[in-house]
This record gives sequence, structure tokens and C-alpha cells, in this order.
Amino acid sequence: MKWVLLVQAVSLCVFAQTRASQMRIVALPGNSPVVTLRLVFTTGSARDPEDKSGLARLTAEMLAGGGSKDLTYKQIVDAFFPMAASVGSQVDMEMTTFSGATHVDNLEAYYKLFRAMLLDPGWREDDFKRLKDSAINSLRVGLRGNNDEELGKEVLLSELYRGTPYGHYSLGAVSALQRITIEDLKQFYKQHYTQSNLIVGIAGGYAPEFLDRLKKDFGALPANDTAPALAIHPPAVEHTHALIVEKNTRSVAYSFGFPIDVKRGDPDYPALLVMQSYFGQHRESGGHLFQRIREIRGINYGDYDYIEYFPRGGNLMEPPPNVARGSQAFQIWIRPAEPPQAAFTLRLAVYELNRLVKEGISQEDFDRTKEFLSKFVNVLTKTKRAELAYAIDSLYYGIPNYNAYIKDALAKLTRDQVNAAIRKHLRTDRLQIVAVTDHAADLKRQIVGAGPSKIEYNSPKPPEILAEDKIVGAFDIGLRPEDVEIVPVEKIFD
Amino acid sequence: MIRSFLLLFCVVMLAVAADPPQKTFPFTYTQEDLPNGLRLVTIPTDSPNLVSVYIVVQTGSRNEVEPGKTGFAHLFEHMMFRGTDKYPPEKFQEILTRAGAASNADTSSDRTTFHTTFSKEDLPAILAMEADRFENLKYPLEAFKTETGAVLGEYNKNSANPGSKLEEVLMDTAFDRHTYKHTTMGFLKDVQDMPNQYDYSIKFFDRYYRPEYTTIIVTGDVDPKQARALVDKSFGDWKRGSYHADIPVEPKQDAPREAHVDWGSPTLPLLAIAYKGPAYTDTAKDTAALDAFATLVFGQNSELYQKLVVREQKLDSLGANAPSSVDPDLFTIRARLKHVEDLPAIRAEILATVQRFQDELVSADKLEAVKKRERYAFTMRLDNSESVAQTVAQFVALRRTPDTIDKLYVQYGQLTPEDLRGMARKYLIESGRTIVSLTGPAPAGASK
Repeated sequence: MKWVLLVQAVSLCVFAQTRASQMRIVALPGNSPVVTLRLVFTTGSARDPEDKSGLARLTAEMLAGGGSKDLTYKQIVDAFFPMAASVGSQVDMEMTTFSGATHVDNLEAYYKLFRAMLLDPGWREDDFKRLKDSAINSLRVGLRGNNDEELGKEVLLSELYRGTPYGHYSLGAVSALQRITIEDLKQFYKQHYTQSNLIVGIAGGYAPEFLDRLKKDFGALPANDTAPALAIHPPAVEHTHALIVEKNTRSVAYSFGFPIDVKRGDPDYPALLVMQSYFGQHRESGGHLFQRIREIRGINYGDYDYIEYFPRGGNLMEPPPNVARGSQAFQIWIRPAEPPQAAFTLRLAVYELNRLVKEGISQEDFDRTKEFLSKFVNVLTKTKRAELAYAIDSLYYGIPNYNAYIKDALAKLTRDQVNAAIRKHLRTDRLQIVAVTDHAADLKRQIVGAGPSKIEYNSPKPPEILAEDKIVGAFDIGLRPEDVEIVPVEKIFD
Repeated sequence: MIRSFLLLFCVVMLAVAADPPQKTFPFTYTQEDLPNGLRLVTIPTDSPNLVSVYIVVQTGSRNEVEPGKTGFAHLFEHMMFRGTDKYPPEKFQEILTRAGAASNADTSSDRTTFHTTFSKEDLPAILAMEADRFENLKYPLEAFKTETGAVLGEYNKNSANPGSKLEEVLMDTAFDRHTYKHTTMGFLKDVQDMPNQYDYSIKFFDRYYRPEYTTIIVTGDVDPKQARALVDKSFGDWKRGSYHADIPVEPKQDAPREAHVDWGSPTLPLLAIAYKGPAYTDTAKDTAALDAFATLVFGQNSELYQKLVVREQKLDSLGANAPSSVDPDLFTIRARLKHVEDLPAIRAEILATVQRFQDELVSADKLEAVKKRERYAFTMRLDNSESVAQTVAQFVALRRTPDTIDKLYVQYGQLTPEDLRGMARKYLIESGRTIVSLTGPAPAGASK
């Protein structure tokens, strides 16, 4: 019996690492009056053709935000209206998610629409034009115009994976979106929306027969995706490099990092998770970077680090699930600093990373962070929706239930393992840095070489901080003038 | 007998299926007042092991009555994390971290909310710590000045978004005397002057961080008796204050107003058309009617949305917000245009639509669909302890009790097409109107 269970566990692993041969199901039945549907296709922007980036995302948006064969988009919106329901889509490199929820009263009516939208898309020209315009405007205005921080993060990732299937933004580029036709969308749908790529997730108070219906209906999709398995090999870099995006803005936002060879399920993942949480837990004030940059020095609004992709961090307090990736990057996010303090702020962040790599974390910080994480996982999965989404990610990564996986791993983890993982996977050389600012040439001059970069405060600081500031100000982050590239914002994702 | 029972059961099931859930706020809760005026609302929900504590102070940018002090309620939200003698910032942080807590705070015009979600065994420790900072907050001048830098940083990260600027100009133009004239972030000049306002910050704390302004909401895996005992123990000694803010009354607007913002970098043109609306009410139909009006006339399945966003594709977003504030606030219609040259036509079309519904009645069927939708949307939102607490916090800021939710939805249930027309005639009038547009440098950079 034990042996059989073991075999099943192994085969689950294999499924996730290569490709499943048939649709997979994650079901969390319960008593809730709300039924949550979450269909994830393990395909996404990494499958965008080189000259048509944005295709995967536009395809999904066309299904979730366009009409079906029998109903126009307006008819769908009208039908959803009294149910307060909709279908949402999310596309990342390796996952395309369709999600929705309905009160169980309306499940039948809701599902009829959901099914038609996903299985019998309408592919109408007017929907296509509207959604394509919206994608182009999101790039030009939503990202480049109004969101310096998200822009910095996405430019960073595109740079880290340049030349690989991850080397572009999932929303695409303006010229690429302009090239995309409805035929491209249909082709993408036909090739990649297959049973082998599909994970069907459902939670809440649905009847058991409903699940059979879902299986049967989505069994009409083509069986297999013929695309070869993805292999992501981020390019090796020899030297720290900075890309400064120049645009009209008040302050300076930074993101920097490098790819790491660790993802959920790998032996060093729990150790790096502890590191991440200690050094800069997202939007929590306890992180080391937050303390050193914001709390002590009052430089900006917050400072965080990541070992997994985390889009929309400006709006989200917790990581969005179902953006699982086969290759992940270590990233530091420094929220906007006033221009006179900007060069110092970058040196301070790299200086702190250097200390982390050299000194590791103390036993006290290790114990505290471990305790935090073992409880915080409950917060991450506080809704049925989140529980379902995490279970789907766990299937992708070939790990057990996420909460159990983290709690078990933390119970066995030691400080030495964390510090060994830090030394093995983190570094301060060969960084990719992205800055978004109005005065690119000035910033370039201030961040190359050993400075010194100065900082002035509006209140007295303790002598140990002032002494540290002198060291930080002269801390060479390894940038030579030839390593700094300035790009006007109009050229980004164009 | 059995058969008729089954039949009856089927009828009941059908009735349930045909109507939306009847009780809008589906949870049983306790509401208790301590002798010092502090209120405790405890709402057990099905959230195994998790508890959310939301502490709502009925103080926001509305309470910033002195000139030059805009943004202070928000600054104070930050200062509350700067420690006490008993729990200096490091110790405060240590307890939160060990509780695995997701903790933060937010400020709006009417309230400041401090919220934490964590494992239930940490409830005593968290409440004790919260009580200590509400009663004994103490920070040195240096920490105050440092925190003002973080607030300026928050202003900076918001300032990249033209929507924030539009809001700032809209409120400033529409209001003359009432403190809704400024946004919660405050005016930049006041934010830059914050480092010099240490003494005022102490005064602000003394005025508003008092039990009579405060409601504690506890949701999740919690026993109301235990919560009451813990709150008595931790917050029982907190002293009632005596300050009442004299919030200026906004004089009646007697002519339409306009403003324009030139934005420095490429953006899609933005348009806001706002009208002076009512204060929140759960005893009359005004709030509910304007909310339904916003959804019916400007929402995703409205005729106007379908025309301008879906068919003609001149807008990439359109929507309206009905006011829901302590004092009379704005009913605002917001549109994002694709092409700057459409601005005059879109503006005219929105105004004509507002005018039209002063004469015409909305369809009764559509109004019924809105009622149904609002109830479903509300029920589906309450799917975890945090969102229950968050939702209740919004209402507590207005009426200090979840009871107002059911009262509001009773008003909603009674709405007729005539009510909506009546409210449009009463509030959406030219003399109470403010229009603000925002455009970037030409060319606008929109997709052709």
C-alpha cells in the first residue's frame, strides 16, 4: 500500500515537470453558498511568437472579455449582471487562468455562459479591436505613463530573460500587438488550449454531478499540445548592468536582481523563502530592507524582495497565485525615492544585500522568521479561492498541499541551511538594475564608481547611522559608465 | 405525507432559488459598549484558526480643520507604528512577526483603520499591544521627522498616476469650505511641511485617538465572550476625550464649475463630471437610489457604456460613484477617453444622459436586476474573516454599527424608477456641478 502511494506521488511529480496527458482536476467541495471555478491552462506568454508578443494574453482576454458564438459580449454582460458575476482572465509566462465565482443559486445559468465563452468563442472583429486597443493603451498609458514601479519590475524581468521565451512582457509590445490578427488568436487557442494543458479547479457547494459535467464538456478540447516542452536558460551576464528608463516623473523607482536556480519544490526553496521574508517580506514593516531604508532613514514608502514572480505588487498585499514559472528570479523592489537621495538609496540597497550574503541571518532572526512563515501561510490561503489556486500551483510544481509543504519544511530547516542557500544563490555582482527617472544622465553620473553619494536628513540620526552612511555612500556597486544604458520610456515595450 | 412534505420542500427550494439571499448581512454578531465609550463588534465567521482585528477611528481627512494641516490623519496612521515605552517599535514588530500577522492601516476622508489578520492564539497578545499604542503612543521628534519622509515617499509613488491629480483638483474645485476639499494624502505643500508639525501631531492624537471615536471589530475564529473579556482588560482604562471637531459646513453651490489639468507626460485624457450629493443615509432612499442610478446609467451594462466603450470604442473606461460619506459628498462620473479630440462630444453626451434621466424613468426590470445584483455582490464579497471585517469597517465609519447594512438594503429593496428620477432631479443639477478634465502633451499617444 505504501509503495503504491509512493508511485502515485512520483508520477504526480513527473506530470508537473513535463506535460500531463489528460486534463487534471482539483476539487475542494464544501458547504459555501459560493461556487468558485478556476481553469488553468499550463500555457501562456512564453508561447508568444517572437514577433507577436502579447498573443497569449490577448487570446485569453478575447475569451473572457468578448462574445461567444451565440451571444454578443453585451448579451453576456447583461446575463451576468443580476448574478454579480463575470469571468476573469490572467496570463503569465506558463499559466493562463480563467476564474469566476457565483452564488450557488445561479450556478446553472452562470456555467452555461462560462462554458460558451471558453469552449465556443465568438471571435468577433469589434471585440478584437476593443481589446487590442485596450492592451495597447494599458502598455502606453497604464504602464509606461502611470506606473513607474510596475514598469521597472517588468523591464527588469524582460532584461533578465532576454533572448528566452520569457524575454518579453506578457502584455506584449505596441508594434507586436498591432501585428496580431484574429487568425493568430484562433491558432493559439487551437494549439494550446488542450486537455493536456488543462487543470480544472472547483470549490464550494456544488453537486458531485456538476464535476462530471465539467469533465465531459472540457473533454471536447483537443487532447494534446504539440509544442515542445519549454526550456528556459537565462543568459549569463559578466558584469552588473543598469538600464535607466527616462520619463517625466517626480521621483526615482528601482528594481534589480538576477535569475535563481530555485523554484517551489526545490530543496533550497524553503531556505530562500525564509531569507526573502527576513530581508523584505512584501508590504510588511518587519523586513530588514524596510527597516534600514524606510524606518530608520525615512527615504521612501517601502522596500521588499522576492524569489518568485509577483506582479501588481503596488496593489496586492499577498502574491497572486497561478503565475507559476519554471524559472524564477531574485528581485529587490525599492519604492520611489526623492532624486537627491536616489543614488544613495541604490547603494544602500546593494550594501544591505552584500551584508546579507556575507553575514547571513542571525539565529534570532531565523527563529522569528520561521515562526512568522509557519503561521502566515494560513493568511495566504484564507479564502476558498486562494486555497484552490494554491492547490493548482502545487500540482504544477509537483509538491503537496502548500501549507503542509511549508510547515513541514520549516520544522526541519536550520539556520545553517538558510545561510548556505544565501551564499549559494545570492550575489552582489552581475546584477541587472532598472531605474525609472526624469534625470537619467544625472543619475548615471551618481551611481557609477564609488561615489560618494550623500544623504541629508531632516532630523538628527544616531552616530552609528551617520558612520554607516559614509560607508554606504562610497559603496561601489560595480557599475562602470559603459554598463549604464539610458532608454527613453517611449522605446520600452514598443 | 412524505410526498407532500417533499413537494413542500421543492417549493421552498424554488422560492430560495428564485430570490436572492434575504438577509443582506448574513452573520450573527455582538455589539457592546464599554463604559469609556469604546465599542466592540464581534462577528464569528467560518475561518478556521484565523482572526481579523480591525480598529476603526472615526477620524480622517474630514477632521483636518486647520489650514496647512491637510494629510495629517494619514500621517498619524503612520505614526501609530512608532511605538510606546512598553512596546518600542522593535518589540511591536517582533510580536506581529511571531504572530505571522498580515498587518497594515489605511486612511480615508472619514476614518483611519488599523487592521491585522493572524492565528487565533495570538489574539490576547495583539489586543494588549493595540490597547497600549492607542493609549500610550510616544515618539521622539526624530522618529516623527523620519516618518514624514515615508509619507512624502507615499505621495511620490502616487504622483506618477494622473488619476490622483484629477481627484485632487476635483475636490479642490468642488468644495469651498468643507474639509472634503482636500484628498486624504493632503496638498503637497502641507506634506512637505509635515516635519515642522511635531507639536500639532501630539495634539491630533490627544483629540481623536479616544475611545468615543473608536470601534474594534473582531471577526473569524473568535468567541464573543473571550473577545469582550480581552478588550475589557486591555482597553478598559482608556480615558474618554472631550474634543469635538467643528467641521465647516459647505455652502450651497450656486453655479457650475470647471477646471483643467495639463499633465506633463503622455496619458489618455480623463474626464470627471461631479455633482454635490447627499450625506450617507440609511433612513431615506437617497444613498441607495444614487448608487442604483450610478450602476444603471453608467455601469458596464448601461446603454451609455455599451455605446461609448463597447460599440463606438471612444472610451476605454466609464463608471460612476455615488457618495457614501459622513457629510454631503460628490456623485462622480469618470471617463477615460482614447482620443483627446472626442473630449467635447463625450462631455456633451454624458451631460445629455444625466439630463435625460431627469425626465425619463429607468426600466423597472433593470432596477430589479440591480437590486438582485447588489445583494449577490455583497454576499459573495464576504467570503473570509478579513473581507467581513473590511466591509463592516466601512459602515462603522458612517454609523458605528453593522446594523446600518441591513437598513441600507431595506431602502434598496424599496426603490422604484420614480425614486431614481427624483434623486436625479434633486442632486444631478447644473448649479451643483463640477467638471474637471486632464490631458497630456499632444499627441495624446492613444492607439488609433
